[in-house]
Amino acid sequence: MRNLLHFLVKYSNIITFILLQGLAFSFIFSGFNYHNTRLIKGVRGITTGIEMRLGRLNSYLRLRDINDKLSAENAELKNRLQRMIREEDLFFLSVRDTLLNQEYQYTNAEVIANSVNRQKNYLTINKGRKHGIETGMAVASPEGIAGIITGVSDNYSVAISLLNLDFRVSARIKSNDYFGSLSWDGRRPEYAILSEIPQHVVINEGDTVETTGFSAIFPEGITIGTIKNFSKSGSDFYNIEVALSTDFRRLRYVYIIGNLRKKEREELESSVQ
Amino acid sequence: MTNRFLKYGFVFIVLILLQVLLFNNIEFSGYVNPYVYVMFILILPLEIPAWVFLIISFLTGLTVDIFTGSLGIHTSASLFAGFCRPYVLRLIAPRDGYESGAEISMGNYGLNWFLIYAVIIVLIHHTVLFYFEVFRFKDFFRTLLRVIFSSAFTLAFIMLGEYYRSGKKR
Repeated sequence: MRNLLHFLVKYSNIITFILLQGLAFSFIFSGFNYHNTRLIKGVRGITTGIEMRLGRLNSYLRLRDINDKLSAENAELKNRLQRMIREEDLFFLSVRDTLLNQEYQYTNAEVIANSVNRQKNYLTINKGRKHGIETGMAVASPEGIAGIITGVSDNYSVAISLLNLDFRVSARIKSNDYFGSLSWDGRRPEYAILSEIPQHVVINEGDTVETTGFSAIFPEGITIGTIKNFSKSGSDFYNIEVALSTDFRRLRYVYIIGNLRKKEREELESSVQ
Repeated sequence: MTNRFLKYGFVFIVLILLQVLLFNNIEFSGYVNPYVYVMFILILPLEIPAWVFLIISFLTGLTVDIFTGSLGIHTSASLFAGFCRPYVLRLIAPRDGYESGAEISMGNYGLNWFLIYAVIIVLIHHTVLFYFEVFRFKDFFRTLLRVIFSSAFTLAFIMLGEYYRSGKKR
């Protein structure tokens, strides 16, 4: 017994260190899957108040800019609406077409905390479970994609940003429909890497890169960015650098996009595989 | 004692606020992310019992983690830096040892000594932190570069802080 006590006293700091380090590791590993929302809920609640206030000040200072973007987007949407009305005028629609019903639902939200300078960046968004947000929904800015919701509490949600080493999205080149996988390499917040495009495909600088509808998260055809430059690596695939159209440094107003038929689709896909 | 407690509490709050509100927002092509709160671990007095000191390092890291939303990595790095500190202090002890009651500062032990001390601890802290953050060995050298650049900025700030501290005393 005395020996044991002696041992404990002698190595007290190493024992304390190992215990505390174990605790820290358990934090790290529970944080890796950000679905562990119990922890986030407790943790984020403390700081969101401050972050929200800072964010509000910041967005007030940039109101003119935000307004410009909004009006540009409105104009574009109005144009799109015009085209649609024209097309529909050609038909006389009297049947209720069940195939035409809505697939994706958009909700507007604000980013209240964001970072671009880390290797694993996350967005905190001011809407949560109460507003119908669920994990796995897509986050997009008016210019392009931004992230995917990974954790939800009652009033807030956390999304993995495109600027995160763990983020992957299926993307394709608009001009020729070849698809690959888009990820961030952790270098600059303006660029991401599109891989798995075979080298026989003809691509050009400035080609638009957009989402495919493969994952049931992002709707098809949302802009991601444009090809900045590309090189042929040793393998069979191009190394393509994509200039992102979303400016993550000033990301503020976003849409959260939920797929209304996600469950049906996933059930079908899993039942077949 | 209470006076000292208050003083270090104040330093702690100032460093955390600087870190969260200012230095977390520095963005320089992803290479420079200074983590100046390490200074708190550097300057804590020697008399604190080892295990209390470890708990303080742990809590310092945890506070930063809470504000950054990165669970565990700052906690882990600070704790490790705190664990290494006694060994580093022993390794670079001045010839006539440490005076009891004297606080660890540039004013007391000289610029050279403090610089070596700070470089070692900051490098330990940043290395653990950045490699845990990335958690992969791909891009090993890029992470190393980030460690070096960020450490340089952190050290620059810490030395400025030390100059301020030693200047105030005179």
